[in-house]
Amino acid sequence: MNDADVSKQIEQMVRFIRQEADEKANEISVSAEEEFNIEKLQLVEAEKKKIRQEYERKQKQVEVRKKIEYSMQLNASRIKVLQAQDDLVSAMKETASKDLLNVSHYKSRHLHNYEGLLRALIIQSLLRLKEPSVLLRCRKEDLHMVESVLDSAKAKYAGKERVHTPEIIIDDIHLPPAPSHDDPHALSCSGGVVLASRDGKIVIENTLDARLDVIFRGKLPEIRKLLFAQVAA
Amino acid sequence: MPTDQAELNSEQVLRRDIAWETYMTTKLITGTSLQLLRRYDKKSENDRAPLLDNDGPSYIHVFISILRDIQKEETVEYVLALIDEMLTANPKRALLFHDKSLADDDIYEPFLRLLWKGSWFIQEKSSKILTLIVSARPKQNGRTNGATDSKKKITTSDDVLKGLVEWLCIQLKKPSHPSRSIPASVNCLATLLKESVVRSSFVQADGVKLLVPLISPASTQQSIQILYETCLCVWLLSYYEPAIEYLATSRALPRLLEVVKGSTKEKVVRLIVLTFKNLLAKGSFGAQMVDLGLPQIVQSLKAQAWSDEDLLDTLNHLEEGLKDNIKKLSSFDKYKQEVLLGHLDWSPMHKDPIFWRDNITNFEENDFQYHPAGRIIVTDLKAKERVMKLMNHENAENKN
Repeated sequence: MNDADVSKQIEQMVRFIRQEADEKANEISVSAEEEFNIEKLQLVEAEKKKIRQEYERKQKQVEVRKKIEYSMQLNASRIKVLQAQDDLVSAMKETASKDLLNVSHYKSRHLHNYEGLLRALIIQSLLRLKEPSVLLRCRKEDLHMVESVLDSAKAKYAGKERVHTPEIIIDDIHLPPAPSHDDPHALSCSGGVVLASRDGKIVIENTLDARLDVIFRGKLPEIRKLLFAQVAA
Repeated sequence: MPTDQAELNSEQVLRRDIAWETYMTTKLITGTSLQLLRRYDKKSENDRAPLLDNDGPSYIHVFISILRDIQKEETVEYVLALIDEMLTANPKRALLFHDKSLADDDIYEPFLRLLWKGSWFIQEKSSKILTLIVSARPKQNGRTNGATDSKKKITTSDDVLKGLVEWLCIQLKKPSHPSRSIPASVNCLATLLKESVVRSSFVQADGVKLLVPLISPASTQQSIQILYETCLCVWLLSYYEPAIEYLATSRALPRLLEVVKGSTKEKVVRLIVLTFKNLLAKGSFGAQMVDLGLPQIVQSLKAQAWSDEDLLDTLNHLEEGLKDNIKKLSSFDKYKQEVLLGHLDWSPMHKDPIFWRDNITNFEENDFQYHPAGRIIVTDLKAKERVMKLMNHENAENKN
């Protein structure tokens, strides 16, 4: 073999080796690229899933919060409504209470026949108690009036019940006076009487305040119906 | 290299003397082009290399212009041979075609046009050069560059890829050249199939089944090279989901096994084993591989002394995967056989109610143990919904 042949052969071998190497290099680069793509896709999908889940979670949170907000608002407005209704009703009672004072007020009681009222209250109380001997308490300012109607009341009762006229002792302790501007929170009484059995075990509170309470409580459903019939609960 | 007397090759073409001056006087090429040609033509690689390094795009421009403006076959062949020679000496020069200074030139158009006419030499060189140029294009965010110039209709890379796939499929189906068409086409495909656009249009053009017959044991150096490149194409396709379905319905797997059994060429074995690795987890391939005796083949391959470490790794990986498959499938052989048979033959068996009625007894025998296990195979076979519907339908019937 001469030099030309040798170098040609070497050239061929070089070309062959290079081709084999290029082919393997190509395979490696393709493998790497494809594996990269596969992994990238997996990572992207995983992240997408995470983000999706995160947003679902947040969405749920928002919904729950909305629901809570809504029911809180609903409750708050319900309470407001109820409160307003309550206030209105209380205001009514206040007004009634104030008007009631006029009945016993020294300036206007003659107009309202307070004297007659006292007598009737005493008779009613006696009828309730059915005791032969009772204790009576009244306001200091009503003392005179009470004393003046006491006998006729006793007599009326006795006649009605066909019993002996009862013994009525007027207590030294008086009911508190009418409410004054000086001290609006002090105990007060708008008028009327309190009768009790001698042993103090049975007490009939026939004050105007007590009567107002009873009526008010009893009539409350009707009052609410009249006032709030159109309002949905 | 023995040359066919009727066969034209680059060496012969490049011996021609082209009368460039005449072209200039007839204004088919410019004065500058003539100058550049004089500097480049008939020179050695050593002389040409610095020219291309310093002013590559200008030379490309000259070549493109000639191919665009001159029709004479001799000249066209000559220029193509020049370009081929240039790229063979240094494939990186394909990048020169994408130089910004050539943005106004339609670098693809001449080659794409020449695919469809002219001598086989022209077609073969055009396809080879076009493959190299389009594969070298700079990618933006993995997307292909499209022409943004609306006035001039410049061929886009997508056009090129589609056109190439079309031409290559025709060559595989009806070769223009009795002996060169197939090697040339497979060679181009082995480069092009790296791209997903190509994979998709190739599969859509039903190209996969054109490759399968080429998978057969080879003995000569030339046929081994074709086999290697074919296997390269198959391996590249095995990364692409839609292609896998085609591979499943063709006889690709048995053919690959035949080749790998008998082949002593390491690079061929290497590729086929890599392909098996990709297919192992997909569809019914795992089961088919076991059926066709791959585990034993892997054993005997491992016993042979390969020099490539990666090959040994892949073989081990394959062995593991196959073992897992066997474990999964061995617990219901009968059902597996029948189902696989049914599915390998595609629709008829699968939809045959008689087949299912006959096998319902099998299900009942094992108290529906096959249900959850069957679901695994059926998921593998990607027919879950249909089968579940059928199974539930049949079970309901049977329950009555």
